[in-house]
Amino acid sequence: MDYFLTDNQKIIKRLAKKISDEVISKVASKYDWEGIFPKDILDLLAYTELTGVYIPKEYGGFGGGVLEMCLVVEELSRNCAGIAVSYAATALGAYPIMLYGTENQKKKYLTRIAKGEAIAAFALTEADAGSDVSNIKTVAEKQGDFYILNGNKHWITNGAEADIYVVFAVTDKSKGPRGISAFIVEKGYEGFYFGKKEDKMGIRASSTTELIFENCKVPKENLLGREGTGFIVAMKTFDRTRPGVAAMAVGIAQGAYEHALKYARERIQFGQPLTSFQAIQHMLADMYINIEAARSLLYSTCRMIDNGAKNYTKESSACKVFASDVAMKVTVDAVQIMGGNGYVKDYPVEKMMRDAKVTQIFEGANQIQRNIIASEIVKDL
Amino acid sequence: MNILVCVKQIVNPDKIEYDSTTKTIKRSLQHLMNNPADLNALEFALKLKDIYPDSQIYTLSMGSLECREKIKELVELGVDDAILLSDKRLAGSDASSTAYALSFAIKTLGRFDLILCGEHSLDGETSIVPPQIAQYLGICHIASVVDINPKDEGTLEVVKKIENVMAKFEVKLPVLLSVKKDSNLVRFPKLSFMIRAHSYEPKVLTLDDLKDIDVKKVGLEGSKTAVDGFEEEMMESTSCKIYEQASASEIECLADIILKLI
Repeated sequence: MDYFLTDNQKIIKRLAKKISDEVISKVASKYDWEGIFPKDILDLLAYTELTGVYIPKEYGGFGGGVLEMCLVVEELSRNCAGIAVSYAATALGAYPIMLYGTENQKKKYLTRIAKGEAIAAFALTEADAGSDVSNIKTVAEKQGDFYILNGNKHWITNGAEADIYVVFAVTDKSKGPRGISAFIVEKGYEGFYFGKKEDKMGIRASSTTELIFENCKVPKENLLGREGTGFIVAMKTFDRTRPGVAAMAVGIAQGAYEHALKYARERIQFGQPLTSFQAIQHMLADMYINIEAARSLLYSTCRMIDNGAKNYTKESSACKVFASDVAMKVTVDAVQIMGGNGYVKDYPVEKMMRDAKVTQIFEGANQIQRNIIASEIVKDL
Repeated sequence: MNILVCVKQIVNPDKIEYDSTTKTIKRSLQHLMNNPADLNALEFALKLKDIYPDSQIYTLSMGSLECREKIKELVELGVDDAILLSDKRLAGSDASSTAYALSFAIKTLGRFDLILCGEHSLDGETSIVPPQIAQYLGICHIASVVDINPKDEGTLEVVKKIENVMAKFEVKLPVLLSVKKDSNLVRFPKLSFMIRAHSYEPKVLTLDDLKDIDVKKVGLEGSKTAVDGFEEEMMESTSCKIYEQASASEIECLADIILKLI
């Protein structure tokens, strides 16, 4: 399908595809199996200038938007969602600074992220606060020129690998969600440690780590936005970054579909290729329909955001839910088409099926996304 | 440092077809590619520019106007300016005539400190164009180069490899070096270079732009060698698929194909 991307968007997609096909496809299995963080690939993305596609030009970026970011994530995910999420998690850490940072914060941090000199992360989730963001327990207490952070964050993508973290902590417990604030924390700050690294089912090339704050001293100028606006910072960031998860899902689905189609053309059963059987043809057709539908919704949502729409919460959630459900279904079907060969590690689709699962879980489980969408629909009545 | 890299647009060897009437290779746009060894030569130029950022890298190609699309890929890698020598009178030039024409193009373009070429083109495999250009220009030539490092702005340390023997040279500029295929890893393009390349048009020179060239010495008529004839080794046509490091399951797939054939 022709999505009428601009010339520059086509170039971004082509460059990301080249890296994905010529480099990532060759290391995906090894990095996944051994849980290798893809610093070398991130360095290549930095050299090729893809790290800055969504960052404004005044901070050294390309000046693109959510769509440009998603085009990169989609193409990288075609071969390894674990590597793609290591790239995308930096965007998740960069967007709060882009949206709510002071000029000084933007200059200091976004320029490094754009050049690929710094990896970023977004630290909100805790053991007892996943979808229930308002239940976070990490606290930040102002003492002179510093905030003192105490608490633990769980399942933080880019965990110990990042250089810059946007961390959410309670500054006023009595105010509930309105008592949460966001802070920029740099690796190496006093009292900032790393805990357990998760051994995950999928996206194993990415690093998912516990963060520990023990009397961590954060300079007061690193407060992001105003005190008490952390919940808004998080939600507005998610509105912009959920399409990134959708892009990851579309990329995984596209990759699995391509492998299944190629296999079905080559695999002979009963004297003919699998593609000659109608049962297989219908599965391939459904995969194609679902992927194109997910991509259409994704690109439309990105364009809506990039063109300055005021409220895109439900569209952002909808594309995340739809694309992630498509990725799960398509990868399961790809494994089914490839039979035993789909179920073993010799082919990439079993990894893709494992990778797809997390897209239904992270950045807000699909169940909570449906709550959000329903709430927005009812509000609009 | 002014660096010129000669890059030939060749027909992908997997897609090569011969024209039995003209005894030349049929060139179709969709099967054109930049000669791999020339890209290795370009990578050395880019490496030198990393060290001396003020350096200018030019490329020179000879061929039909269709080559311009492939030349854009050189700009994507970081070439400052690309020149295409294109003239119908050059059609059918042998290696010697090609070197003659290219040397006049180089003289027209100006003085270069370093000229880099791939050692040979995949479609011709003569390896004589680079030394002949050097001869026409009256500069030193070193072949089979596998590494280039600057000593200072006027001197290079050059490593050449023949069989399993490595020889290290210190050479003063200007010099022409022909680079062995796979002697380095060709880098990826940068986004900003790709955007520039999208609207970039290579400069086109014709024979009329080349001062003092004798047009009788180029093209089919001016060539000293002529293809007398060629034969294609007829092989039984089979559809071929290569499996590298095949796993057990891929072998199972392969077995299906073999069973079908027998």
